[in-house]
Amino acid sequence: MICDQCGERHASVIVKQKQQGQTTERHLCHVCAAGTQSINIAFEQDPMAIHQLLTNWFPNQQTTVNPVRKEVAVCPSCGFAFTKFLKLGKFGCASCYDAFEPQLDEVFKRLHNGNTEHNGKIPASYGNTLKIKKEIEKLRKQMKTSIEEEDFEGAAKLRDEIRLLNSQLEGGVSNGN
Amino acid sequence: MAIDRFLQPRASSWMANAGENVDIAMSTRIRLARNISDFHFPYAFSEDEALKVDKAISAVLLDKGRELDYNFTHIDIQETQQLEREVLVEKHLISPYLARGQHSGSVLLSDNEELSIMVNEEDHLRIQSLQSGFHLQEAYQVANRLDSLLEKHLSYAFHEKFGYLTSCPTNTGTGMRASVMLHLPALTMSHQINRIIPAISRIGMVVRGSYGEGSEALGNVYQISNQLTLGKSEHEILQDLQNMTEQIIQQERRAREAIRSNSPIVLEDRIYRSLGTLTHSRLLTTEEAAKCLSDVRLGIDLKMIKDMDMSILNELMIFMQPAFLQQYSNKPLEPKERDFARANLFRERLNKESLNDEGEDYV
Repeated sequence: MICDQCGERHASVIVKQKQQGQTTERHLCHVCAAGTQSINIAFEQDPMAIHQLLTNWFPNQQTTVNPVRKEVAVCPSCGFAFTKFLKLGKFGCASCYDAFEPQLDEVFKRLHNGNTEHNGKIPASYGNTLKIKKEIEKLRKQMKTSIEEEDFEGAAKLRDEIRLLNSQLEGGVSNGN
Repeated sequence: MAIDRFLQPRASSWMANAGENVDIAMSTRIRLARNISDFHFPYAFSEDEALKVDKAISAVLLDKGRELDYNFTHIDIQETQQLEREVLVEKHLISPYLARGQHSGSVLLSDNEELSIMVNEEDHLRIQSLQSGFHLQEAYQVANRLDSLLEKHLSYAFHEKFGYLTSCPTNTGTGMRASVMLHLPALTMSHQINRIIPAISRIGMVVRGSYGEGSEALGNVYQISNQLTLGKSEHEILQDLQNMTEQIIQQERRAREAIRSNSPIVLEDRIYRSLGTLTHSRLLTTEEAAKCLSDVRLGIDLKMIKDMDMSILNELMIFMQPAFLQQYSNKPLEPKERDFARANLFRERLNKESLNDEGEDYV
């Protein structure tokens, strides 16, 4: 049979298209079949079939049981198992990220050119908490150094600053978590 | 009904034709994906949760949107007819995924159609900002401003290490996908596009036609967007995409010049044949119309065709699609009837030839 479209090459593919209940069938060659498409200039399709990639990258998850931990990670909130995440390519809820965290660096590295940490916008409320937490960490280190250097006056000052920041953390600033 | 104004065959402001590089960069889009903490994501939530999320987000948008002078129209997806949903998809106002209406979901549209907020798509919240031409920064600012307003009233799922948490791990981090639609006929004709696509994918960005890799894009329209959402800031992602898009635009210009100086008559012939097809056909398939639109668009860019307005072509790209044709004709149409309606639409809009009355009742 000759291709319905180009009328030149041998038809090797049957393309069935269902649209609004109407099915059309065309016999096409491999070249024309590759070019067959209904109009779709919509902005977003999944950039790739993510679940296919994930299962290809982590093929042994379903069969291999970790001899040390024995069990597959399951999200306590939505019940998604790590294997389900791989198969579907989607998380079920925010808690999945914590439940699967040990495995996620490997996943994100593959998907985001080696990156595993967010480096962009932070919601204002989290921003304050995060900033304060990082400041406290810094002051603690300074305090430790001060004590080692026997600068107790300086250490006391730092301790007061840390207390103040801690009270801010517990008080007004909600972290929405 | 409130939805009616969005179903009219009228140009949205992002289909207008203004700004630098608008001959090649047709439109720009920014999408931010967000989820609300305390609720399961759409792949795992119950219908009860879906309803709660839908109500909560819609209420905040309708109420607080006014602070930014937005008067959103709320459209409940499940209460919207199938054909109307498809029209919204063809206009890029909602995604095919949302149109399926698997659970309670909504879209909220700004009056100028530059902002479309989908509720309960793959994520609880998808803010989409559309601009005509090549305007990444402007589109981001519109989306970001709304996002910053919403985060005061909704508790987002956010992780100190991973950033904004999304259903799909390809969106985790910034949750941002920035895209530019590019019309690249010369790079396609000269097959250079086949070298460009794999090169770009190596640096965290992706170029896609409307069909899978390597095949010719319908109407030579490609979309370039960021692939990475983790590790880089929004600003860096936008800057990288800006630089890359500018380079592609330059290459397209060079390829156009090369074709014009090497084979001017062949090019002119192709452009005018396509113009003839669009203005005189009685049956036009989507594929043929898209190909001819691309040629005519190129003809206008190269100033070979002088008496035609590019914004009409932008509109036709949207209105020639199946759901629009049927909405416009007020009745369902078989594929053959659509080809006839499409040909009529082009002759009518391009105003080159008065409609032949006898042809109206085809089939």
